[in-house]
Amino acid sequence: MKSLDVTKSALSNTLRSKLRTALTVIAIVIGAFTLTLTSGLGAGINQTVDRIFGGFGEDDAIYVVPQVEADAQEQDGPAEYDPDAGAEMDSGFGTGMLSASDVETIEGLDYVVGVDTEVAAQIEYVEAPDGTQYQAQFDFALNDVLAEFAAGGAPDRTAMEITIPEDWLEIYGADDPDDVLGETLIVAAPNAVGQTSDIEAEVVGVTQGTLAGVGFTPIPSVALAEEVADINAEGFEGQMPEAYIMAAAEIENLEQNEEAVKEALAEEGLWGLTVEDQIAMFEAVIDAITWILSGFALIALLAASFGIVNTLLMSVQERTREIGLMKALGMSRAKVFSLFSMEAVMIGIMGSVVGVGLGLATGFITDGFLTAEDGPLGGFAELSVFGVDPLAIGGIFLLIIIIAFLAGTLPAARAAKKDPIEALRYE
Amino acid sequence: MSTPVLETENLVKVYGRGPAQFHALKGLTFEIHRGESVAIVGKSGSGKSTLMHLLALLDEPTSGVVALDGRPVSKLKPKTVSALRNETFGFVFQQFFLNPNQTVLENVTLPLKIGGVSKSERDKRGMDALEQLEMADKAKNKATDLSGGQKQRVCIARALINNPEVLFADEPTGNLDSATSETVEDILLNLQRNHGITLVVVTHDEDLASKCQRRLIMQDGEIVEEQTGVRASSSHKAPVTAGHGAPESRRRRRILPFGKGAAR
Ligand SMILES: Nc1ncnc2c1ncn2[C@@H]1O[C@H](COP(=O)(O)OP(=O)(O)OP(=O)(O)O)[C@@H](O)[C@H]1O
Ligand SMILES: [Mg+2]
Repeated sequence: MKSLDVTKSALSNTLRSKLRTALTVIAIVIGAFTLTLTSGLGAGINQTVDRIFGGFGEDDAIYVVPQVEADAQEQDGPAEYDPDAGAEMDSGFGTGMLSASDVETIEGLDYVVGVDTEVAAQIEYVEAPDGTQYQAQFDFALNDVLAEFAAGGAPDRTAMEITIPEDWLEIYGADDPDDVLGETLIVAAPNAVGQTSDIEAEVVGVTQGTLAGVGFTPIPSVALAEEVADINAEGFEGQMPEAYIMAAAEIENLEQNEEAVKEALAEEGLWGLTVEDQIAMFEAVIDAITWILSGFALIALLAASFGIVNTLLMSVQERTREIGLMKALGMSRAKVFSLFSMEAVMIGIMGSVVGVGLGLATGFITDGFLTAEDGPLGGFAELSVFGVDPLAIGGIFLLIIIIAFLAGTLPAARAAKKDPIEALRYE
Repeated sequence: MSTPVLETENLVKVYGRGPAQFHALKGLTFEIHRGESVAIVGKSGSGKSTLMHLLALLDEPTSGVVALDGRPVSKLKPKTVSALRNETFGFVFQQFFLNPNQTVLENVTLPLKIGGVSKSERDKRGMDALEQLEMADKAKNKATDLSGGQKQRVCIARALINNPEVLFADEPTGNLDSATSETVEDILLNLQRNHGITLVVVTHDEDLASKCQRRLIMQDGEIVEEQTGVRASSSHKAPVTAGHGAPESRRRRRILPFGKGAAR
């Protein structure tokens, strides 16, 4: 029997008992549908991330934070008190902060041409020109490179500049983000004893929130953040240790020297990450979530595969005579086997085509609805929660066909094993 | 005499094991020559179908040899045996075994489809075979739409489609009325005479048996008598049920009153 004839026969056999095939196919459709949606969700978000951060190729900085002590978690009980370690007030160790000496170390590393630091800047409130005061918190100044702008751009790191999120336009009574550029925002910074000092900052950009969580609060310039931190430190009794949340080390020829700098940082107990690394970490989380969701879809597919086994076993039983006849007329075991496994594959193909099709349609429609300007997720810049990853779609087809084939092997082996004489005697 | 197309030596078939063992064939040795027509007759349960299945390579003997064209087949691979059945043999089964959901033409061309012949070639040869049996006008009908005699003719067309050397027929007239039986018998014997096909037929039908060149009379798994020569008609038929029993003399269409065909 030719392969084409095997395929054709398999197709017409599956269409013979339409209701039974349809019910089996529906089970596969549910699995394929779910899998398409979950993988599409992951693809959509990752594509969004790629799109947003795609433009940061020119960013040549490594962002440095203190290394997380892995063995801290493995310790049994609390660490013993060491008076010498505690006395070193300058150290940011264990506080999750960088100390001044850390920053110096970074500055001293090869290929590092400059270091910007992120200080912890505490603000009491911000005030619009009309005198209304608003509760607020700053975003990290160094996050300026990750921001997505509706108007204007990142603040000049050395000037008293700031950006505001899109939904803050109303405090200036503006609709168009361009209208607020050049406006003034008054930042009230508290000192150690609770008195506040005002700093005037120029609004130079309007940000849209991104998935990385950047741009939902005002982003100060580095200089503004430092100014606020200085005020925060005023009136502090004794010497306030200089501590930084993060440092951005500008690297000469980042692509080539990235590894070298990271290694040098690791030796100093510091952890360096490029923007790309941060994106990769974010995407890894998205991928993990996608895989977990896809796991549920796989369970659905597993259940569906038993439907295929069941359907085909019934079919083999019903067609005992036909199988006997084909074997008597000279069909080999292998061909009988391939005929029935092809039927399973046909069911798999039908289920995956319908399921993936429905999944794509549902995904795009839902995405369009959710991320529309006034939709529930409309506030995120350039967000799409559904995307097509051709590789993933191909993978889903392949996976389902493999599962269907595997499910078909048991019934197909049953059919192939049938003795023509007994099959022909079968009433 | 020509070389035997099929020969057997001490053919034994035992069904079951232990106390439930049943010796269906008890050591048969005979030859079937090319172009010959042979009828296997005997009581129900005497082992006729069992024998035919062994000859047709549908089953394997417990012991003994079946040889095709002088070559023992017991040592052939299953795949070769399948191919032999597909290319060398034709089968007419007692119960038709037509696929109800396929057309007449599709049923007839099934052996060619299994054999890997292209669709156009299949359909051409299928139509030829159907024409030969005057069934061409029913080619597109569903197999279930046919009368018993028409179904049997479709089965014969299917058996002929691969130009077999040997045509096996298990009670080809068992399901048919006497007039239709006559037609089917004529078709089969014509094929044997005019196309040189070897015909092996298992039958209760006295008419059909008597038209064959040779009759092997079976009883309890043994060939108890062998008759040669075509008998002109049932009027002076031989005592085919003979063996150790008394010769039958009453005029009956059916050789055996308890035969499957009669029981239906
Ligand atoms: N698979 C089997 N297992 C056990 N016994 C069997 C099996 N097949 C056939 N037999 C027995 O072997 C004997 C011969 O069977 P067979 O079918 O060859 O008879 P037959 O001569 O063709 O009869 P009929 O004229 O009724 O078709 C019978 O007694 C039958 O019960
Ligand atoms: Mg029989």
